[in-house]
Parts: sequence; structure tokens; C-alpha cells
Amino acid sequence: MHKRRVYSLCLRMLGNVAEAEDLTQEAFLQLYRKIGTFRGDSAFSTWLHRLAVNVVLMHLRRKGLPQVSLEETLEPSQDDGPRKDIGARDLTLSGSIDRVTLERAIENLPPGYRLVFVLHDVEGYEHNEIAEMLDCSIGNSKSQLHKARMKLRDLLRTGQRKEQIA
Amino acid sequence: MIVLRAPEKTMTCAEFQEKLPELFESQAGLDGHDHLKSCENCAALVRDLEYIASQARLLLPIHDPGPAVWENIQQAIRQEPGPAVPGPRK
Repeated sequence: MHKRRVYSLCLRMLGNVAEAEDLTQEAFLQLYRKIGTFRGDSAFSTWLHRLAVNVVLMHLRRKGLPQVSLEETLEPSQDDGPRKDIGARDLTLSGSIDRVTLERAIENLPPGYRLVFVLHDVEGYEHNEIAEMLDCSIGNSKSQLHKARMKLRDLLRTGQRKEQIA
Repeated sequence: MIVLRAPEKTMTCAEFQEKLPELFESQAGLDGHDHLKSCENCAALVRDLEYIASQARLLLPIHDPGPAVWENIQQAIRQEPGPAVPGPRK
């Protein structure tokens, strides 16, 4: 169902229910205004999906969030750099993460990481498409994605540790 | 004739992780990578990152907006002058 797909995309990209609802509304309004420009070169769902991504990105640009986040995350911090103690043998993720836990961890990603992760790993866009959407280099997109996955791993492992202690 | 080769330099964890984003993009680069054969920590890291990516691909669009959203969309559309329809193709 298109409504659900557009809203899920907005929610995952933004991590905020109110904003996601507003932008879902905006996306469907844009759809109504632009439906005449749909030429059938791609599937309708692909076209609508891209339209919704653009609506979210426009919104983020207006807020100035993505630029800040992307720049911030380009600077390697202690959290992001290579680590020597990773991968403790008693705590691997494989087979232990359910959908709800993963969704929550994605919500907690910094906005710049979340954007690239959702676009690539969840929505299936290629790095060249993401680079074009976010106006960054392909290398930047790859590096952001890697950092996002690393951060998610940290978040998921921290959650597991808390569960074990409780 | 016996050719003597200098022993290959072993990659450190930091060096391996530095190259990890590239290696992920070319899956062939990770399969059977020498460092992974000898380093359980990095092998666990790679397994986890692959697992996260594979689980993300399985996430479905399951979120529903509140009922007011659809009502607002319908109301906003009613106030619109009408969709832009291109003229007939020549």
C-alpha cells in the first residue's frame, strides 16, 4: 500500500512521527500536483518513492540538518575510528536481533548516518544515487554507510549488554 | 630453481578496518580474506555488519500514519485547483 510505504520511508528517514506525518501529507500533495508528469519510464511505486525521498530531503535541507550531520560524521571521532577491542567473542549479534530492536536502533542513529543507512540498506538505493540525492561524493556515501553500520552495531550490543545485566 | 619470497606482511586489525568500507563494496574482497582467517575479532565484526545489512533489507514498510493524515491529504487535495496534466503528445 502506497500510503504505508511513503509513511514508513518518512518515519525511518526522520525518526520523528509528527514530521513523518507532515511529510507524508506533503508527498501525496506533490503526487497530486505532479501526477501528470509521470511518464511511465519507471514503475509508479518507484516514481512515488523517489518523490517522497525528495520531499524529505528538501525538508531536511530547509532545516539545515543534513549538512551539519554529514560534516560532523565526516570527522572521525573516537567513537567511529578503528577499534582494537571490537568483536568480543561472547557477544555477537547474529540471529539475536528482532525487527523492533533494529528499528529502534536506527531511530537512535545520528541523522546523517540514518539517512544513508535507510536509503542504502533499507530502501535499496545505490551509492551513486545516494551521492546524487545528498549532493556528496560516492566515497562519502560509502564511508557514511560503514560508519552507520558500526554505530548500529554499538547500539545493538549496548542494548544486549543491558538486557543481560537486567 | 627455488624462489625465495619474503614473508607477506600481516595486516593489523586497524589496517583491515581502515579498508573495510571498500572491502564491503566488493564482496570478493572479504571472502576468504587472509586477515579474517587469523583474527576472530575482525571476523566477528564482519559477521555482525553483514547481519545488520541483511536484517535491514528485510524491514518492511509496516508503519501506518494516524487516521488524520489521510483526512488532511484529502482535504488539501479538495482545495487544490487540479493536477497538472500535460497536453497531448504530438
